[in-house]
This record gives sequence, structure tokens and C-alpha cells, in this order.
Amino acid sequence: MIGFRLERDGTVSARFTGDEASTLRDLAGQLIVMLTDRASAGDPVDAVLAAAGIGGAETPPLDPALARLLPDAYRDDPEAASEHRRLTEHGLLQRKSDAARAVVASLSDGDGTVPVRLDPPAVQAWLRTLTDLRLAIAARLGIVEDGDPGRLEDDRDAAMHAVYQWLGAVQGMLLEVLDG
Amino acid sequence: MTIESPVQVPESVESLDRPWVTIVWNDPVNLMTYVTYVFRSYFGHSREEAERLMLQVHHDGRAVVATGGREEMERHVEAMHDYGLWATVDKADA
Repeated sequence: MIGFRLERDGTVSARFTGDEASTLRDLAGQLIVMLTDRASAGDPVDAVLAAAGIGGAETPPLDPALARLLPDAYRDDPEAASEHRRLTEHGLLQRKSDAARAVVASLSDGDGTVPVRLDPPAVQAWLRTLTDLRLAIAARLGIVEDGDPGRLEDDRDAAMHAVYQWLGAVQGMLLEVLDG
Repeated sequence: MTIESPVQVPESVESLDRPWVTIVWNDPVNLMTYVTYVFRSYFGHSREEAERLMLQVHHDGRAVVATGGREEMERHVEAMHDYGLWATVDKADA
């Protein structure tokens, strides 16, 4: 990857290798599936409310990755947490999957170098999706508290660790450009 | 002889009409630069204030990032969850 650069018109540009771009597209695609499955799994809600981003399940997801993306809004009040989730979860799922779709859309398909050009809304989508992907991977690897090394038992775990580090590096570089 | 019963004076008037807080919790995943970025861009904090809050989250495990009405705090928490930060609503005195 060739790092992010802030252009004169306010967009942010970068170049990814074909492999990097396809990894990111795949991960964002998996995230979208995870989020849309959750959105359609809950109790049937009024279609009009759901379309407006209102409504959702009443209990947190069992999958630790999804649970980390959709935390309870109240720590010691299950009733309030459930009520808040019921009212807001669909909207949260929708915005998260929209962001992941925007990331996919900004990565063209190609074998060679993939140029990326992000306008401010796309930058927001990237920041949030990079975060959501890292949160999901960390949950899968059992990285729950500061200092947790995360599970490392096989090649698959090692590959997830590598992707996790890489996503963090990409996000760090993007933040550095925005800060500049 | 009468003894005047002591009048309960509230510790602060603010605690009566602004009894809720938004708490951001530490997590091992989010970059310190990202947390600072979120505090600056969402709450409009200066760099110094955003970094102070970020370090408080990092060192103390949590920080109160906003105080106000319950609905407003719920909106902040929802926004923090949009960003992928772990946040909760609580009563101010908790």
C-alpha cells in the first residue's frame, strides 16, 4: 500500500495492491452479511418503522463479535438496555452496513494497483468500517482487555492477527493524514 | 425552644436537571489516535481536551464525556456506537 495523501480538493487518495484491495473488500463483505443477518433475524417489526431505521431486537447478540459492535447502552439496567436496543439497533445496523458498502464501492476490482480516492463521507465510512472490522476480529481472537495477546493456535489465527495489525496500520495512516 | 430542621440543600442545581452522563469505556482495540479523533470531531473538543479524555479512558478504564438530559445522552451513546467506541448511559451520581 502507498500511504494516504490529502489532495487539494479535500479528498484523500491512496493506492492499494490488488491483494490488499480484495482482502478489504472480502472483509467488508463479511461484515455486511453479519450485520444484515442480525437485522433480519430479530422479531418481525413493523416494516415502516424498520425502513426508517427504528426498531430492533431486545437482547444483545450471542456472537461476541456482533455483541461488541452492538453493545448495551445501559450497563446495570437490563430493562433500559433492552428498550434502547429495541428502538435503535436497526438504525445502527443500517448505518454500519452502509459504511461497509461505501468502503467496498471505493475499491475497484483489479489485479494491479488499486487507486482509491475518498471524499469526506467516504473517509468517515472507512474510519468506521476499519474500526468495526478490528472490533469483530479482536472478539474472534479473544482480545477483550488491554494486554490480551489473542488466540494464536494455527495458521488461520496467525492470518487474522496479521489482518488485524494491518487494518490498524491503515487506520493509523488515515488518521495521521486527517490530523495534518 | 425549637430547633430548626436542617434544610437539605442540593449539592448542585445542575444535578437536578442534568442527571445523566455518557461514559466511554476503555477497550483494547481502538487506537488512541482514533478515540481522540472521535472526541474532537463529534464533541467538538480541542485537541488538548480530547487527549485528556482519551488518556482518562485509557488509564482509568472509563471517562464521563458528556452530562445532560437522558435523551441527549442516549443520542451520544448511539453516536459512539456508530464510531465503534464502547459507551453507556448512566445516572450522573453513579
